[in-house]
Amino acid sequence: MSQTSAGDQKYFLPRAGLEPLVGILRQRGYTVLAPTRRDEIIALAPVESADQIARGVHDHQDGGRYRLTQADPEVMFEYGPGADSPKRYLFPPELPLVELRVRGNRFIPTSQPPAIAQYAFLGIRACELAAIKVQDRVFGLEGQDTLCADAAEYYRRTRRRALLIAVNCTRPGGTCFCASMGTGPAATEGFDLSLTELRDGFLLTVGSQAGAALGAELDLRAPTSAEEGLAEMKLAAARAHMPRHLDTRGLKERLEQTIDDPNWERVAARCLSCGNCTMVCPTCFCFTVSDSSGLTDGVYGRTRRWESCFSHQFSYVAGSGPVRSTIAARYRHWLRHKLCTWQDQFGVSGCVGCGRCITWCPVGIDLTEEAQRLGRHVPGAGAVPIPKAGGTKEALP
Amino acid sequence: MIQHVADMDYRPPPGMGGWLPVEATIVNIQPENFNTRTFTLRFVDESLCESYRFEPGQFNMLFVPGVGEAAISISSSPYQIGALDHTIRMVGAVTRGIDRIGVGGIVGVRGPFGRGWPLHKLAGKDVIIVGGGIGLAPLRPLIHWLLRHREQCRRVVLLYGCRSPEDRLYAAELEAWSGRSDLDVLVTVDNADEHWTGPVGVVTNLLRRIKVNAEQTVVFVCGPRVLNRAAAWNFLQLHVPPAQVYVSLERNMNCGFGRCGHCQYGKHFVCRDGPVFCFADIADIFAKEEI
Repeated sequence: MSQTSAGDQKYFLPRAGLEPLVGILRQRGYTVLAPTRRDEIIALAPVESADQIARGVHDHQDGGRYRLTQADPEVMFEYGPGADSPKRYLFPPELPLVELRVRGNRFIPTSQPPAIAQYAFLGIRACELAAIKVQDRVFGLEGQDTLCADAAEYYRRTRRRALLIAVNCTRPGGTCFCASMGTGPAATEGFDLSLTELRDGFLLTVGSQAGAALGAELDLRAPTSAEEGLAEMKLAAARAHMPRHLDTRGLKERLEQTIDDPNWERVAARCLSCGNCTMVCPTCFCFTVSDSSGLTDGVYGRTRRWESCFSHQFSYVAGSGPVRSTIAARYRHWLRHKLCTWQDQFGVSGCVGCGRCITWCPVGIDLTEEAQRLGRHVPGAGAVPIPKAGGTKEALP
Repeated sequence: MIQHVADMDYRPPPGMGGWLPVEATIVNIQPENFNTRTFTLRFVDESLCESYRFEPGQFNMLFVPGVGEAAISISSSPYQIGALDHTIRMVGAVTRGIDRIGVGGIVGVRGPFGRGWPLHKLAGKDVIIVGGGIGLAPLRPLIHWLLRHREQCRRVVLLYGCRSPEDRLYAAELEAWSGRSDLDVLVTVDNADEHWTGPVGVVTNLLRRIKVNAEQTVVFVCGPRVLNRAAAWNFLQLHVPPAQVYVSLERNMNCGFGRCGHCQYGKHFVCRDGPVFCFADIADIFAKEEI
């Protein structure tokens, strides 16, 4: 296989070539994480053989609904993302940061930094690549923010070692809107290899030098023009059949004017504030470092855990209680963060259009619907008026 | 040429970015009022005592092993090298934990974090400092800085309000400041006792007692939310430009560098973009509820 620029190299990988791929990755020391069928959902889990990858199933996703049904047993990746995303591995739900003892006037660390795993993600989707890219910015992969970078050491090191083999979506899930967010259904960047499933194999695209090196060990042949055409057609169809849509034109500017929008109360009447949307979201990054003490061994632990802005005590002022005491305020914070203020903070949208927050919401609140409704016909929303000179006391808030 | 603390070649001390705080000994505890004390900390590591610098208005994360961390403003003079004051109201698990440790014990420190008072905005201006209750704590380093660079600005006024005369922070220091000719100090209390001869009422009432030269004034406010709002709006009504009104805000913090998400305030992370905000930057959300 000759080396040309990344992204240009296309090959055909027969279906039987998946097993050697898993074998090579494992030989190189990777933990291969692939979509598996577990508890009737698709979950990313370590696999030892390509046989363990979920196949022959379709997913049916809708607001508050997720079902798997039998499909053509020969078809492998015709399902969308499950509740899990690579976030679970790069930014684990629970991570012990440090353990220490107090000896005299010193804190003595008694633990090694968490071991850095070497993950190969096989079969992640374009929206998940986009989500990884978002978290790369959040956790300072490029090291532009040194304070953050030190504290996000685990993410950065795990991420740098990870190999990303994407699968392009030929059958979007029922809550997907990646086409609206410009993140899918086909992966365009940020992968080592990408696969588009055809009838008896995959159109394989090389996206990096690591991907090219891996491809060199596989039994590849040049694709026929029919195969390339078919892959393009399938992806075009997927794009055309995207079940949900979010109009992103002017969305940020519109959401900036929605603090007083009456629709927040409407959503709040349904929202349970359970936090599911934040747990399944592949970009949500909030966490809490909590402390523990060993009652018998004198070892104090510091553990980082996922946190949700939907919990009542997420934001508070010491001595005067929670800042966002109503569900309307918490939902407002979450949605505006995701689609609006995230861009101010990290220069990208916090939403990649994967639809998980819709599927896994127990009452089926649809982000795309709510976002469309917001910021329309709200008189007087926006900046606080600057009071005129000689204003009366009544004008004070 | 005066060198601003903010201009010094500042870099966080080693280890401050990680999750293992550095040790500091509690060398003194000064009671301020019934639930507030000033803890003076000294790093166990002597070289850190020398190298640690902060800007007035910044905070540290103070750590009690097994209990947790709390964000506490640094309240000592930026020129007091080697010993850091933290004025703490004992209202939570961590703050009560620090109190239990006592003099001679150690706490952990990560920091300094956040953006402090904009010292570069003061040249040639009148400076009005408004503090309420424990809000005087992050203003104290600013006052010390100003007294050191007094020639840079014109008038300096401190308006301070608290519940009662015995609730005043830094009472002896306030007395000393009151005696200075280069600093106007006005203190008001909500509830006077029989010895109190000063003003009674909310701190914004003190505005009637001073002349505000609006265009030439920079305002620094730190207090409870209701004071922050009332003070900011009062000065805006007096035509002080929004870009010259600064408010220090409070919210729970966990990481200190704008990642854990807890202290988000609109698009801002209070820990990283604040705690000192220019009113012009938060005008769209300042008067809103539950942001």
